[in-house]
Amino acid sequence: MSDQTPIDPRQEQAGASDESLLAAHEKLLGKKPEDGAHYKMLPLALLFVFSGLIFYAGTYLNHYSGHYDPAIFNENAHPSSGAAAAVKVDPMVLGKKNFELVCATCHQINGLGVAGVYPPLAGSEWVNGSEERVIRIVVYGLKGEVSVEGKTYSSAAMPVIGKVTGSGYNWSDEKIAAVLTYVRASFGNKAPPITAEKVAEIHAKEGDRKEWSQDELLKLH
Amino acid sequence: MKNGFTFFLGLFLALALAWAGIVLGSHAQLGHLAPYFDENEGKAFPERLPGIAARGQLVYQDLGCAACHTQQVRRPDFGSDKARGWGDRQSVARDYVSQPHVQLGESRIGPDLANFGARPLAVDAERLTQYLYDQHGGMPPYRFLFETRKITGERSATALKVPAAVGMEVVPTHRAQALVAYLQSLNNVYEYPEARPVEPAEEKKEGAAK
Amino acid sequence: MTTAPSAATPAEVTEIDASARCSLLLLLGSALAWLVLSGALALVNLVQLNSPSFLAECPVLSFGRTQALQETAFIYGWAANAGLAVALWILGRLGGSPLRSLNWVITGTIFWNVAVTLGLVGIATGDAMAHTWLHLPRYVLPMMLVAYGTIAVSGVLAWTGRRNPMTFAAQWYAVAALFLFPWIFSAAQVMLVFTPERGVLQALVGGWFVQGAWTLWLAPLALTSAYYLVPKVSGRAIPSYDFAALSFWTLLVVGGWTGGRHFIGGPVPAWVASIAGVSCALLLFHYIVVGLNLRAAFSSGGSTVLKFVAFGLGAYVLGGFLDALTAIRGVALVTQFTYFTAAQSQLALNGAFSMMIFGAIYFLVPRITGQAWASSTLIRAHYLTAIIGTTALVAALAVAGWVQGHDLNDPAVTFAVIAGHTKTWLQVATAAQALLVLGNLLLLGHLLKSAVSSLLAPATATFRQPPTMEASVS
Repeated sequence: MSDQTPIDPRQEQAGASDESLLAAHEKLLGKKPEDGAHYKMLPLALLFVFSGLIFYAGTYLNHYSGHYDPAIFNENAHPSSGAAAAVKVDPMVLGKKNFELVCATCHQINGLGVAGVYPPLAGSEWVNGSEERVIRIVVYGLKGEVSVEGKTYSSAAMPVIGKVTGSGYNWSDEKIAAVLTYVRASFGNKAPPITAEKVAEIHAKEGDRKEWSQDELLKLH
Repeated sequence: MKNGFTFFLGLFLALALAWAGIVLGSHAQLGHLAPYFDENEGKAFPERLPGIAARGQLVYQDLGCAACHTQQVRRPDFGSDKARGWGDRQSVARDYVSQPHVQLGESRIGPDLANFGARPLAVDAERLTQYLYDQHGGMPPYRFLFETRKITGERSATALKVPAAVGMEVVPTHRAQALVAYLQSLNNVYEYPEARPVEPAEEKKEGAAK
Repeated sequence: MTTAPSAATPAEVTEIDASARCSLLLLLGSALAWLVLSGALALVNLVQLNSPSFLAECPVLSFGRTQALQETAFIYGWAANAGLAVALWILGRLGGSPLRSLNWVITGTIFWNVAVTLGLVGIATGDAMAHTWLHLPRYVLPMMLVAYGTIAVSGVLAWTGRRNPMTFAAQWYAVAALFLFPWIFSAAQVMLVFTPERGVLQALVGGWFVQGAWTLWLAPLALTSAYYLVPKVSGRAIPSYDFAALSFWTLLVVGGWTGGRHFIGGPVPAWVASIAGVSCALLLFHYIVVGLNLRAAFSSGGSTVLKFVAFGLGAYVLGGFLDALTAIRGVALVTQFTYFTAAQSQLALNGAFSMMIFGAIYFLVPRITGQAWASSTLIRAHYLTAIIGTTALVAALAVAGWVQGHDLNDPAVTFAVIAGHTKTWLQVATAAQALLVLGNLLLLGHLLKSAVSSLLAPATATFRQPPTMEASVS
């Protein structure tokens, strides 16, 4: 303050007028350092601070960005590859559940079927035989007469289960493979498992088609 | 700064940039995050809140329970969350996709509640209801969630075992029941692929040394 | 150092001040009323921490609701009203012509305060939202947005229609705050309340809103006051003013990116917290420049106005450093989820924002009313309660938080034991908060007295013509 009188906090005086305040700072902005001798250390130090902070920021982000991956919550982690991240599905568990949900309605929970109406799966030559044939039956269904273990069943049809036009189930190839694997390893059956790739292969080969008949299948296999 | 338009444009861009980076960026990454369908179990996780629990979440929100309780577990090597029994794995974004009002919380004056439903106190609804009625340590009693009413006919099944005047009983209101149902529903134990513990990245350290 | 006032120097108090009297007094009066209410609610909150059954039978004042109420009253009651008043006045003065659309300011203020009142009633009766700084129920939000617009338009007009083509740092901050808040506020409303985001995105938007509202709205409002008052009262130009613009843009560009700083170890992707931590560190440049530019405040030469501003500046810079420190994962491991976070927000709100605004209030009220403050004792009393209360409150909460954080990380320590360890510090914080309420009550009374006497008596305050500032000082 320019005067020596004590400041009255009840009405504090201004040290500069608004106009001169604006003008003074406007002038400061345009001011260039005159020469090396008067060059101030402060601006230099501030620039160092600024670049130091930017360097720190870059380094930190480089290390702890988690690769900007939405699935990384721990800044020390790698991005995980898709195969390692997927939960492994146990075909026996998935197969059993879906079998009991859908197939067991006709073939029964013990796979014995109903005499004269629904053919058994336990010990059936169709189930334990060619894997391609059994895949074809489940994906596309089977119409008409079928003879299993010497007995003929004609009153019911095997529905279309796979992702085929007109299917009431639209199961994925993985699900069908799991159920077939389960059926081929249960009820005393001991046939090898069926992979989803094999189901997909048959599915791709046959495309979109109607239900099979026994004769067509026997001709193929 | 003299050019008004450029100045306003600069202000707006500064704001829009941060908004795009933080909000839009994470929205693009997480906005379509879906529940995880487990083929083995044939269910999607996290499961939807049952209706009464969803109403309980509103009670939790309007009483401001989040002022003292978080609902986010930190990973086992970061803090004592696992050692305190709050959860075996870190909470991940997918844990919250089915919640209409996410209650992460910012303060742990009381314990974390992300997996509260699995704890002994929460398993027994009657005990938990009683807990809300009484004062325990730093947690205030929530008596206004209960009403004292005259017993008409038989005692209600929900009546608390607390001293009341003759012919009177203390019963939880709908709000108390909803809150209890919500607290019991808090259970994020399903292990999503992204929630598994990770090995620290070792080769990163070499990169730092260069 | 300064020259004698020349004949060309206009008077210190002009039509600009007198014409804005009613609208600014309305803004400031309601602001201080909310501040006292918020302080009283914060006091209830702290008492409840010490004795949890305090008022527990009263559903309106459950711990969580009281916290939401005091926070809302502080941000939307005190900070919004007072910050707008100071920003409008400074924009008017530096613009060089009386503020326009002052009737709209009065209308907007009334509607804003009605909306805040309705909002608080809504929170108390169970319509609260669960987002920090956005507990307000949905039905008051559109009204608040419109009311804010009607008040702020006067400031933007003062800027665009300024007589003087030159601009000063205080104006940049004021215009930024007035212009940006509606965008932040409406974006947050849409993404949190009207069409809420899913899952943790709600928390993320909430975090962005809080940090945005602080770095792009409240902090610039406080800096408006500081950047104007320090050269104005001291009569000395700002040293290294070249850096003021860089520092301003650092705050604006980087500030919004700090939104994820509370999510360390939380259920959001790791990059969100990393970017926030880095942004907090980059902001240090802004804090250093502000501290250096305005260091004249610390040699106040007996000016109470500058003493308030100096305390606020100290708190502001310290707060910036603490933010950067606690955004480091190793430190956050202790401080996260504890009273330490509360200490930081009290340091920013009560320490930085309120103090710088108090300074402006003491400077501007005699100019708009034409009456000197009634009592210098009251001013000193308020100053003492404010600095002692804020220091004690922040320090006590910080210590309590540090203790609590270490205890939380030791699974053997139960919550009852933690409560025992923090008890003493929370009692100190309670006493400090009581002191703050008392001090703010003094200021409210003092302001009301000034307002009343300005209506009854003619202007008696005498402001001498200020000297001219010279460009090449220091």
